[in-house]
Amino acid sequence: MLKAIYRLAWKDVLADFRHRSTFSSMLFFSVAVLLVFQAAFEPNGQEAQRLVPGLLWTTVLFTTLMGLGRVFQSEEENGAFEGLLLTPLPRGAIFFGKWLGNLVLSLMVMIMLIPLTLILFNVNIWIHIPMLLALLLLGTMGLTALGVLLAAMTQTARSRETLLALLLLPLVAPLLIAGVQAMTEVINTGTLGGPWLNLLLIFDAIYLSLAPWGFGWLVEE
Amino acid sequence: MKRLIAMNRWLGWLTLILLAVSLWLVFNAPIDYQQGNSVRILYIHVPSAKMALFVYLALTVFSIWYLWKKSETADILVEASAPVGAAFALVTLASGSIWGKPMWGTWWAWDARLTSMLVLLILYMGIIAIRNGIDDPVKGARATAVLAIFGAVDLPIIHFSVVWWRTLHQPPSFGKTASAGPAITGPLLPPLLWMSLTFFLLGAYLILLKARETQGRRTLEHLEAQRRTHV
Repeated sequence: MLKAIYRLAWKDVLADFRHRSTFSSMLFFSVAVLLVFQAAFEPNGQEAQRLVPGLLWTTVLFTTLMGLGRVFQSEEENGAFEGLLLTPLPRGAIFFGKWLGNLVLSLMVMIMLIPLTLILFNVNIWIHIPMLLALLLLGTMGLTALGVLLAAMTQTARSRETLLALLLLPLVAPLLIAGVQAMTEVINTGTLGGPWLNLLLIFDAIYLSLAPWGFGWLVEE
Repeated sequence: MKRLIAMNRWLGWLTLILLAVSLWLVFNAPIDYQQGNSVRILYIHVPSAKMALFVYLALTVFSIWYLWKKSETADILVEASAPVGAAFALVTLASGSIWGKPMWGTWWAWDARLTSMLVLLILYMGIIAIRNGIDDPVKGARATAVLAIFGAVDLPIIHFSVVWWRTLHQPPSFGKTASAGPAITGPLLPPLLWMSLTFFLLGAYLILLKARETQGRRTLEHLEAQRRTHV
């Protein structure tokens, strides 16, 4: 089962690198978002340091949203989704496969995004990078779990990308609040922990346990 | 379903009568010594806030019912509840805003309750959008039911996270002892209770009315499809 999940995820990541290139679009989209932020707010040194958590989280949110719009695209185009459902796997395993593939792509974007943000906004918090990355990873786990579920929900809808954004943004509000607060704490005190991190973990736990179940309902024929 | 529709006309008249009684009570209630006449907004604001939440609860129950029994009635009720809940949420936000300007000095604050109510409104909009956005009737019904249930799971998390985040709104006025801060008592309470009952019936009436309309539209679409295959 774990192997099947891994293979499903690997298929998506590999296919992405070979021709779909969601990864490179996500990466350049995130740089574009940073550019927009800089143009909109023009933060000076102190402001930039205060803005970094919000900046990183919004960029991650928008970038992930973009990647999520494509999660089921290739399956939909080639009619391969039925094939995927016909594999002798529980629906939950298919969900986790899609989730893992998406998570890996998002994680790769984030690994590049954090240093890029610190360089472009000229913020000197390099020592916190491992903790920032850990936080973003934890947040993205819940974010993509909810996101893949919503992508499955909207895949047959008429204006699916708009609908995905409309559904995802309010539902991830707690994740975003917790993530930004926890990251502010990391930057100010250099410690990772406290109630905001717990809230993040609770969100992850809830969505990672419930989303596969919801996915099963959605794809049932 | 048919019996519910027949019942609905009586429900409508009952709501109207109760509305008249409640409004009479509201306009005869004494003014608040701090808030003056603007306290009367409370009689709209509090019941509609309660109903915005209560309709979501009903929506969740209908969704579970749909996924469990695959009953079309449940799906129609899900589709009918969402706009009614959205309307209550909108009334809550609008009346709160009108009250907030003179009392708090601002139309809007990013306070916990206000933020949760806004998220609830967006969630209702999302449910309406997804119900209308999917053409396949079964897929659309399932997607909407799953979304409603996930929204129900998410709403308490949203609420607690924004409560930790910031709080300005006064704590609830119902069911509290006087020692815990200003509580609503005496002559202000009966109109509020009557108004809450009225809003409850109004919500039920509107949902059933919308359900009837939805069912009629679906029957029509079904007939239209049949006609097209025969021509």
